[in-house]
Amino acid sequence: MDFASNITLSALFQQSLVGLSRTTILFIVASGLSLILGVLRIPNVAHGSLYMIGAFIMYSINLFFGGGQVGFWIAVLLSPLAVALISLVVERGLFQYLYEREHLMLLLFTFSITLVFGDLVKMVWGSDYRCVDLPAAFQGFFTILGFPFPRYNFFLIITGPVVAFGLWFLTNRTRIGKIARAAAVDREMVGAVGINVSLVFAAVFVIGCFLAGLGGALVAPTQNIRQGMDHAIIIEAFLIVIMGGLGNIWGALLGALIFGLTDSIGILVWPQFAIVFPYVIVVMVLLFYPKGLLKSTW
Amino acid sequence: MPERSAWKVLVPWLAVFVLLLFAPRFLPRFQVYLTGLILTTGLLAVSLNLVLGLGGMYQFHHAVFYGIGAYTVALVITKTAFSPWIGFLLAPVVSALFSLVIGLICVRLSKLYFGMLQISLGSLVWAVVFRWYSFTGGDDGIHGIPVPDIISSTDGAYHFSLILTAICLIVMQRIVNSPFGRSFQAVRDNPVRSEAVGINVKRVQLTGMVISGAFAGIAGSMFVVIEGSVFPELMFWTLSLEIIIMCLLGGWFTFLGPMLGAAIIVLLRTVVGIYTEYWTLVLGFVLMLLILFLPQGVLGYFLEKFKRGGMKAV
Amino acid sequence: MKRRMWLPVCLALALAFLLTGTAVRAEKTIKVGIVDTYTGPASTYTNDVRDAFKLATDKINAKGGILGKKIEFVTRDDKFKVDIGLSAAKELIMRENVDILMGTINSGLTLAISDLCEKEKIPFLVTFAKSEKITGEKGNRYVFSMNENTAMAGKAGAAGLAKKPYKKYWIAGDDYEYGHAIADSVWNHLKTLRPDVELLGQSWWKVGEPDFTPYITAMLSAKPDAVIIATGGAGCVPFLKASAATGFSKSVPFYMHTATEMSTLAPLGLNAPEGVLGTSNYFYYYPDTPENKTFVKEFKDAYGRFPKVGALYGYITANFIAKAYEKAGEINTEKFINALEGMSIGSPIGELTVRAFDHQVMFPMFMGTTKKVEGYDYLIATDIVTIPGKDLMPSIEDIKKARGVK
Repeated sequence: MDFASNITLSALFQQSLVGLSRTTILFIVASGLSLILGVLRIPNVAHGSLYMIGAFIMYSINLFFGGGQVGFWIAVLLSPLAVALISLVVERGLFQYLYEREHLMLLLFTFSITLVFGDLVKMVWGSDYRCVDLPAAFQGFFTILGFPFPRYNFFLIITGPVVAFGLWFLTNRTRIGKIARAAAVDREMVGAVGINVSLVFAAVFVIGCFLAGLGGALVAPTQNIRQGMDHAIIIEAFLIVIMGGLGNIWGALLGALIFGLTDSIGILVWPQFAIVFPYVIVVMVLLFYPKGLLKSTW
Repeated sequence: MPERSAWKVLVPWLAVFVLLLFAPRFLPRFQVYLTGLILTTGLLAVSLNLVLGLGGMYQFHHAVFYGIGAYTVALVITKTAFSPWIGFLLAPVVSALFSLVIGLICVRLSKLYFGMLQISLGSLVWAVVFRWYSFTGGDDGIHGIPVPDIISSTDGAYHFSLILTAICLIVMQRIVNSPFGRSFQAVRDNPVRSEAVGINVKRVQLTGMVISGAFAGIAGSMFVVIEGSVFPELMFWTLSLEIIIMCLLGGWFTFLGPMLGAAIIVLLRTVVGIYTEYWTLVLGFVLMLLILFLPQGVLGYFLEKFKRGGMKAV
Repeated sequence: MKRRMWLPVCLALALAFLLTGTAVRAEKTIKVGIVDTYTGPASTYTNDVRDAFKLATDKINAKGGILGKKIEFVTRDDKFKVDIGLSAAKELIMRENVDILMGTINSGLTLAISDLCEKEKIPFLVTFAKSEKITGEKGNRYVFSMNENTAMAGKAGAAGLAKKPYKKYWIAGDDYEYGHAIADSVWNHLKTLRPDVELLGQSWWKVGEPDFTPYITAMLSAKPDAVIIATGGAGCVPFLKASAATGFSKSVPFYMHTATEMSTLAPLGLNAPEGVLGTSNYFYYYPDTPENKTFVKEFKDAYGRFPKVGALYGYITANFIAKAYEKAGEINTEKFINALEGMSIGSPIGELTVRAFDHQVMFPMFMGTTKKVEGYDYLIATDIVTIPGKDLMPSIEDIKKARGVK
């Protein structure tokens, strides 16, 4: 077929911009996963479920406040907090007894949590598709180089660096971040100097899950909120984290960038095979960088 | 080996085998089918455990080899003029070949990296099967595969899977206790020292993957006989996760634990599914409880509890 | 020793096994087994099938049942997975001894069960899977389709598009059987109706694709006159959403089968794009006939919501079962099938007939465009044109050709 006939510079630019907004969501979700993987060594499959729950809670809160500007902002702020609260309960109730277990056991455990959460979501929100309406300020689009670009996607692109900076600040400039980074390298040593490692771990877990909820809340207005969102995101998030280097926040950002951009440019260049692009990219990266692109904490 | 103890091990297993062989005489048809399905899934889980438990490798996408085995049989029967039995012979060979190729690429990596690269490569295979409508039937799959008459009935399929499972288990048990099995185990426990004493770690791991893939292919061919269908979900990553769960649930440091795990999952799904559509919720809770209280898996727990060494803990 | 270790395990397994024992069933009932997807995105369609089926059977049972026997039914959740669904179908046939099987929304699973039912000689009434292979290439004596299929939808779409002035098309859709089948069907029929149309290109996304913005911008850069969107189920809502957000729906007209369905439009509220061309089998507000009004009222009274297209499928399936058994005069599978072939019943959308040759119910298709209308919280289909079922059915010659029958 007319391979690559419609590729112009402006179209490429446009696809990259769209890819960047997708990158933001992927980065937010993947960085949370990476944080938990890096510090707690938990391959948290339930991360996808929390993302889904974040989107559903966003829907409910937005509906409760009647939508619009007010409802939207309250929902964006509250739903990640609600997800963080859920994760706190899960961590204090279950995970804190399991930190010494084998990775595969933790993987299995988080997977069983996804099973439970999946059915709970079905019980609470039912099977109909849900949508969050954007407030008027975010509706519509700009025209850039002759192509439409949704306003909300601009908001997303701005959010990405903000979250990245926040995470950098948290891990590098705050006490808890420094302890967490130390604990990631040697948890016994940190415990030995009299720090309550268990609480630090709880905090890291909750922050990671907060990011999953934030990702879900931010993505909610762009798509239909439905069961099965968890499966779709989790494999992508894991691939991104692996590509970037386990536990490395900047790795998650780099991985998300590669993933989001190849995906959206692939759609333009070779639409028939868009489905395999992400996997091909991951294979290529891991062939040349068997430990991920950036330094891993593992 | 001393005769007496050998018989002591052998006789109960022979009894179980004979009992299962005559099961269709006294079990209703559905239970016969279900037992066959458990054996197939169980064989798949045991084959995964060869690399997961024995080799300590994060084989995250084992289902690919299962699916390839199933598709090999299905395609030989529906697309070629060869005897269907050729398909059954080819299934382990093709699966082993794919195992070799994927293994060659993955084996340089370790742990989670190994697992995620395998998921990527496996997903590529899945995407090809999912999209290649003219050859694999695409996402609809191939249904109503005419297997040879002798194994096409419920009882026939059951006997086929029972005998094949028994043979495979014996062979795998032999492999586990062979010099290769011991070096594989040594690699799992301490790769650095194994390398130092002259074991080629990567080659041992690769061999393990190929063997395991071949047995998964056999399990795949059994699935075709039992269900008469193949479809791309057979090689989707969620199924791989399920098989890992079976291994961990049954006990991944035991030889037959994964078989038990498979039985538990299949039965739980069937029994709870009869009463409620929320069976994944029940399954989730059961799994959580088991992990919290039986970290060694069900069979591992009983082995420990009764302090039995006879199972030759893997 | 070994026995001691295995004893508790074996006991537990035996107990579970006992629980799978053959179900006791009263001879006085007709048992229908439903395998369908009650978990995941597809369940927004399937719950209506089950609920309307229950509504209809309750009515039939209240009148004394069929031939003095009541209809009872059991459901199994297949989770949209072929292996689980196939296993459940076997359980229903072998353990529950059902007289009839019903379901499912997964086309691959439907084809698998269809083959199973042919072997087991159990009638299988399909209630949502839309692959044209079900009653076409892979059709058999025991399978009936109680919903439209991709061939019919394609013909309807082509008929609507042929009347428009568009020449340069782009095709985009879900990268699986349903998407490709719909797209091929629309395109092939459109080409016969309008030989001057031209295909600029296509894009295919994975099933469950969450964000369509990159695809839409890619399509825009090709500047087509119109786009054929072949996405099903969960893809419809986010696609309409992205097309509204990018202004795509305003700059490029597009056709999307099921775009006008309530399951697609209701979640979007008033922000859905206007002017989208879509086809559907059923609206609760159309046709405006007493039959439809009665049905909508009954359904709403029972479940507190308006019926969606699945409700129609479930409702007519129950009525077809009842009428076919009555015509057969006894509970006999072969006579049931003979009776059902060529049978007509009244329905909320008028008389519906099972075509005897391929067991496909001849559904009419309602083509309309989305529009905001006073009194509705969401967009509805307007300017509805009814395309009669007989015009949409694939020809018997085509089916014979697909089946390889001379």
